[in-house]
Amino acid sequence: MTEPTALPWPAGPHTRPGEVSDGDLLARAAGGDTAAFSTLYDRVTPWVFGLVRRILRNPAQSEEVTQEVMIDVWRTATRFDPHRGSAHAWILTIAHRRAVDRVRSEQAAADRTELIGARSAEVDFDQVADTVTTRLESEQVRRCLDTLTDLQRESITLAYYNGYTYPEVAQRLDAKLPTIKARMRDGLIRLRDCLGTTKGRTS
Amino acid sequence: MTESDVHTLTGPYVLDALPEDERTLFEAHLAGCTFCATEVAELREAAVKLATQVATPPPPSLKPNVLAAIDHVRQVPPLVAGHRGAPARKRFTRRSVLTLAAAALAVAGVGGVAVDQYREKTDAVQANDQITAVLAQPDARTVRGPVAGGGQATIVMSPSADEAVVVLNDLPRLRAGRTWQLWMIDPSKTAHSVGLASGDVTRVLDGSVTGMIAFGLTNEPDGGSATPSQPAAATIPMT
Repeated sequence: MTEPTALPWPAGPHTRPGEVSDGDLLARAAGGDTAAFSTLYDRVTPWVFGLVRRILRNPAQSEEVTQEVMIDVWRTATRFDPHRGSAHAWILTIAHRRAVDRVRSEQAAADRTELIGARSAEVDFDQVADTVTTRLESEQVRRCLDTLTDLQRESITLAYYNGYTYPEVAQRLDAKLPTIKARMRDGLIRLRDCLGTTKGRTS
Repeated sequence: MTESDVHTLTGPYVLDALPEDERTLFEAHLAGCTFCATEVAELREAAVKLATQVATPPPPSLKPNVLAAIDHVRQVPPLVAGHRGAPARKRFTRRSVLTLAAAALAVAGVGGVAVDQYREKTDAVQANDQITAVLAQPDARTVRGPVAGGGQATIVMSPSADEAVVVLNDLPRLRAGRTWQLWMIDPSKTAHSVGLASGDVTRVLDGSVTGMIAFGLTNEPDGGSATPSQPAAATIPMT
């Protein structure tokens, strides 16, 4: 983190000083505390729903998958290990994996090519939730994305926001498979270094 | 897949961009690759920040549905883990290991989500826990450098905990009768041996890191040397 105005990332996106962290709420939910889960739900579902909807597009399906994800968070909260990453990362990893699995399972191999053309690579930046904390965080992410090369950025965003596999990304960007794998990795490394998330494991 | 191929898969894996068969292969590799597990954890923290760009509140009707549903959903039993510094630290007993195995089987039915979080703890994974324990220290820092002849040395250190973890990966193969020797170098440029390694390794360093200015790696005869042979294979400043 090089910018003096940057946010203290390890505190997580929703945590103000003195506020209970997402990780604490998740730990309480793991003990059966439904009130803690309810608070956690309010904090994280905009991220979960936004991400799932970005990948699936269909609003009804997105609600269904978001519901599945949050029930999964409740059911497996006991498995969350704060030493291996933040609560935020854990929940969004579940959400992303589920959305991507859904989009892939529903697409027969035959219509993949057509859908690759149909799914847009654009990100709807105007959907960003309008609070000061989320806006600052969102701006920092966008600034960091801008430090990536075009190929790094496109490889990462096509995979993350659209659910493409790396061979699909390679096809779409007309690049070699090893190149795309490498750009995804070195792009994420650059993003990590820019965001200073290396030690962001406390929330 | 070649070895170097496998390591570049951390990027696509974190983005859920691996086709199913490659995902399965990589997760098998991940269970024994401490370096990959650490990198996956770090890159994942960065990748999930991308969700900030698309945050959208869900319809309000969703919440009562979820809260009603969890009333009827049984939570899975916790895994018994042996983290250093974890609040609920437990010893590994025969019983807990069995519980762990059972839980690992149960996880297979949960949908294979974020598998690297749930792995049964192999030695490699326990080493990874040690790294993450050091990484979790508020003052943890990571320094990296190349090793002459190939590979990389990474040192994760926490001055407050006076602990450091070294990760050596993709090192060149040693000739017979040779060993890697690890050193801590103090401000007077005196090297203190902190252990030997026969190849790629992840380990918590013996001895104090306080006041040390660099990590050194040398190629020595079996059994190690009292003083480091020059030129060193790697010298990585820690300050």
